[in-house]
Amino acid sequence: MAGRRRGRCGGGVEVLESIYSVVALVLILVACVELGDAATAVDVYRLIQYDLAGVPYGSRFGGLNHHAGAFPFAPGADFSRTVVMMPVRELNFTFLREYIINKQQLGGLLFLLPQKVSKKIVGEIKSKDDGLMRKILVELEQLLIHASIPYPVYFAFEDDKINALLADVRRSDATGQPATATTGGYKLVVSSPEPKKLSSPTITNIQGWLPGLKGDGDTNQLPTIAVVAPYDTFGAAPALSVGSDGNGSGVVALLEIARLFSRLYSNPKTRGRYNLLFGLTSGGPYNYNGTLKWLRSFDQRLRESIDYAICLNSIGSWNNELWIHVSKPPENAYIKQVHESLSDVAKEQGVTIGIKHKKINISDPRVAWEHEQFSRLRITAVTLSELSAAPELLKNTGGLYDTRDSVDEAAVYRSIRLIAESLARHIYGYQGRNIQIFADNSSLAVNPSYVKSWLDLLSRTPRVGPFLSKTDPIISALKKELSDHTVEVHLQHEMIDGMFSFYDSTRATLYIYQVASVAFDLLLLLVLGSYLILLFSFLVITTRGLDDLINMFRRPPSRKVKAS
Amino acid sequence: MTVFHFFNCAILTFGPHAVYYSATPLSEYDTIGTSAKAAAVYLGTALVKLVCLATFLKESENGNFDPYQELLKVLINFIDVAGLYFALTQLTHRNISQNHKFQAVGLGWAFADSVLHRLAPLWVGARGLEFTWEYVFQGLEANANLVLNLSLAALGSLMWLRKNKPRILIPIIYACAGVLATMPSITRLHTTSYVLILVLFEKSFGMAACKGGGL
Repeated sequence: MAGRRRGRCGGGVEVLESIYSVVALVLILVACVELGDAATAVDVYRLIQYDLAGVPYGSRFGGLNHHAGAFPFAPGADFSRTVVMMPVRELNFTFLREYIINKQQLGGLLFLLPQKVSKKIVGEIKSKDDGLMRKILVELEQLLIHASIPYPVYFAFEDDKINALLADVRRSDATGQPATATTGGYKLVVSSPEPKKLSSPTITNIQGWLPGLKGDGDTNQLPTIAVVAPYDTFGAAPALSVGSDGNGSGVVALLEIARLFSRLYSNPKTRGRYNLLFGLTSGGPYNYNGTLKWLRSFDQRLRESIDYAICLNSIGSWNNELWIHVSKPPENAYIKQVHESLSDVAKEQGVTIGIKHKKINISDPRVAWEHEQFSRLRITAVTLSELSAAPELLKNTGGLYDTRDSVDEAAVYRSIRLIAESLARHIYGYQGRNIQIFADNSSLAVNPSYVKSWLDLLSRTPRVGPFLSKTDPIISALKKELSDHTVEVHLQHEMIDGMFSFYDSTRATLYIYQVASVAFDLLLLLVLGSYLILLFSFLVITTRGLDDLINMFRRPPSRKVKAS
Repeated sequence: MTVFHFFNCAILTFGPHAVYYSATPLSEYDTIGTSAKAAAVYLGTALVKLVCLATFLKESENGNFDPYQELLKVLINFIDVAGLYFALTQLTHRNISQNHKFQAVGLGWAFADSVLHRLAPLWVGARGLEFTWEYVFQGLEANANLVLNLSLAALGSLMWLRKNKPRILIPIIYACAGVLATMPSITRLHTTSYVLILVLFEKSFGMAACKGGGL
């Protein structure tokens, strides 16, 4: 019997222990409940944060937890704890400049970009609104990139919810008080970790080699023509820098040219006596750093065998004028040859090609065009572009405005026809002859759907070089595509030189909460307190009588009287 | 500020129970044991109801009114009534008057109901940054529920504990009991005002009957 009792006691202790553990688990669970309920959750993209030669630029913070505010403001209001929401359509540059250049403290900035406009018909002249929006975005981007901003800056796309929110915030701001903790309103929260410096960002160059027809001699002694295009971008919002025109158009052109020539070279009867080297380089916005490293990795023999190189940069939105940019004087025999081969074909297609000469200054670290890197190593090179002037550092590198709508497939198509035709005439020795190798409706015609599908893909893929890992999908896709068209494909991973360093955290989720003010909570407490007191008095009076209620407050004095 | 809101809603939901206990003679007679027992019975009743609902009720596919399913739901709601009967009559209460017994049982029942149905949503929801009126409404519902439960307990005590009931009241009492037992869905907020009137009417009857009929 004692054993049984002990057994029961033992069982009882076990039950108690399991109860304790269950209670502890429940308490832990209860404490860890995630407060994730928000009115709205929006995808936002952070402004780039980078250091150039040790000088900080861009937005230096990531986390955000403040009230929302919008124009029109009460004059002299304090915004150090407010996130200012600014739709880009109605941007007030004076206010922005004042706050950014004078380094005044804001809680945060949220720019609202217009929704992606639907695709326009090819050939239609871009509306005035588009031109205005492009100007605004370019100016905004340049302002933000070259300033050091000590608070978080995010970009978001406009939609109905955000527009309704903005209207609400504006309405309450119009009454004169910006929303703070005591007056309610909306709270914007981004909980992203502290942005960290990218430890060793790599840029990847992809090259493809198409060998020419071996004569009696060695392949390596055949001359080489190089077609090069930088594929990476740089913009104010790295998660949005898709760079359709700069330089998605160049990449697509290079891929299509590779495809056409691989068809020609697949048959030994039509293989030319030139090797073709295709290079998709990275590090374009950073003074073509990747191109320099790629060229330095070349064998001396290869370098000497390059007849000339054509670099492609932004050939997707021109009408009937293209430019060749050179660093050697135009009177140079080789340059003249290249220019003539291009302009002969251009004339036939109704395109004017101008030539611009910009001398290289060896001591100047700024490399404005890709061909300058070739010229520094004594390789004849030209850049074909729709831009007539050399872009400044970090300009025209595929920013906020450079989306799918800013590139015209027809222009890319015509560029490919032009370049391929002039290359082919050079390779096969048909200069000056009126012959169409890549004629429309022939088996060698430029494929418009190939062009379109690659343009679409590149316009969906942000490609800021340091943020692409060695095995990034777009790099693998480009490598695979080149390996389909060329014989030998080679990836080269390099580090960017020390001048540029980047910080991570490029996209986040913004939670918008509608909050009640502290005053409201206090009021509610007051109401509830008086309700409970009333209830108490009512119950005491009905059940025990009014005298009892009065006696409750009279007891202490009567006791004191008794004691004395 | 959000914990503040949680605190506000909590005192709205559970405050009246504490106030009722301390304001009426319940606290003088120390009837907390009775309330605790009633709360435990409510817990048991809720569990049994859940198990029965899960076992016997089928998910209606086309949403049409199925008389058998509704009948089953009504029968299961009688378990509620059975639980209240058990709490009122079968539990051993200390020597407290009938008047206080039904109040204590009703209070315990209502408190358990509030805790089970309203505490968890309050804890999870009211602490967030987002502000909604939902939890304030829930608190008001808890208040109405308290009054309802007290009246149900009064009704129960009239039916089962009192031996000498005034003649006229008997059919009314049983009719009200039947109505309230079979249709608990009318205690939702939008009909709470209607119920409050009905319930106050009953309560006054109950009080009058208790006082008039003596202990």
